[in-house]
Amino acid sequence: MLQVRDGAGETLGVLFDRYQTPLFNFYTKLTGDRALSEDLVQEVFLRILKYRQSYRPGTPFRAWIYQIARNARIDHFRKFPPQTPLEPEMLPPVLPVDSAQEQQEVELLQHALQQLSEEKREILLLCRFQELKYEEIAALLGCELSTVRARIHRALQDLRKAFHQLACDTMRKKDGTAAAEYIPPRGGRHEV
Amino acid sequence: MKCEHIAELLPDYLQGSLSPEQHHNVEAHLEQCADCSEEVVIWEKLSVLPVDQPGPASRARFEAMLQAYQAGRSNQPVDDSHWRKRASAWNWNVFHWLRSPLGAMAWSAALLAIGVFAGLRLAGPKPPSPDLAAMQTELASMKQLVVLSMLQQQSASARLEGVTWSTRDQQLDPQVLSALLHTLRYDSSVDVRLAALDALSRHGRQPQVHEAVLDSLQLQQSPLVQVALIDLLLEWRVPDAAQRLEALQQVANLNPTVRQRVEWARSKLN
Repeated sequence: MLQVRDGAGETLGVLFDRYQTPLFNFYTKLTGDRALSEDLVQEVFLRILKYRQSYRPGTPFRAWIYQIARNARIDHFRKFPPQTPLEPEMLPPVLPVDSAQEQQEVELLQHALQQLSEEKREILLLCRFQELKYEEIAALLGCELSTVRARIHRALQDLRKAFHQLACDTMRKKDGTAAAEYIPPRGGRHEV
Repeated sequence: MKCEHIAELLPDYLQGSLSPEQHHNVEAHLEQCADCSEEVVIWEKLSVLPVDQPGPASRARFEAMLQAYQAGRSNQPVDDSHWRKRASAWNWNVFHWLRSPLGAMAWSAALLAIGVFAGLRLAGPKPPSPDLAAMQTELASMKQLVVLSMLQQQSASARLEGVTWSTRDQQLDPQVLSALLHTLRYDSSVDVRLAALDALSRHGRQPQVHEAVLDSLQLQQSPLVQVALIDLLLEWRVPDAAQRLEALQQVANLNPTVRQRVEWARSKLN
């Protein structure tokens, strides 16, 4: 990063290779929109170029880049407020996983995650997927360490409830379908 | 231990940063409390969510953005390495542009136009020169269309690319010129505005470009663009540069760096 800061544009390519997938996942899981996520990743690297002089050596780079990533998203939605709530079709496609049950769990988790408030979804993404330390998240969000812990716990509680609710709904639907399949034909006779 | 106590420890438990004693206490609670243990299960389940991969064009887009940024920023005197860089930027842009849907559409239309003209030329006894001229006009207007539509894209990097594309032609089409001036005045991204200014500064000899660019000085809020415009005032040896600088200096909330630049520019003029 120091090389980028001091003007070596080529070094930015190395940073791009290292951070584009984590950043892309941060955005897709947060917004559910792949095209927008790709745009925002590009915007983050444009901002790194623009504001590279503001990076202070010795400070964690990961926290700095996520600060830029958050601001880029906030600025985007300030300019273009989201028109429609998140549609399930906009969610990233679920990749094939080992078993049908696991696939169903992935789908349920993704939906449960999208049901959380943006603030809660973001904090879970930062600590679970971007693997930021709680201290880094506290600096990023400008709050106390204890607040970060409390928010993570509340987010996890909500996620559990949402997941539980979705799982129950799915089970009920399945039972309903299964029951419907076994309803005997009326009259009990088939015409030939 | 109650759930409220566990709530304080759970996040650290999940990151494995508790003391052995606290860790033991949390585990003992988890064995008895279904809700809390379900939270731990959910946390672990989150790791099964698949990692999404960005599209294959993402890297090419990044390279194009980098090159466009460097091209837009570069005010170096023209030398061999500069041209080599520009050539490679051009290659990247063409490559990237060809892969985009817009590029595919434009090239399909261009190929169709070439086919139609080639067909007419082979079939008819008409002299070839008017056809060729018409074809060139067609291609030029298509290129302008591409620049104009890229300047209206939502993504800043696409608009930046559009500005870079507009610098390919020696002569600016009036429509492209007006789109570039609009970009210089109203684009939300400082980088796009700077790139537009760089593109326009190549055509400083045209009086209407001259005036319009300098008039935008009062509209600009970004110190970077203001400084670039002040430098241009000096470079173009504008007759009323002193008045323009004085007017700018009167602005109450002018950025200190810009104010310093204005003073420096005024000292250069005297």
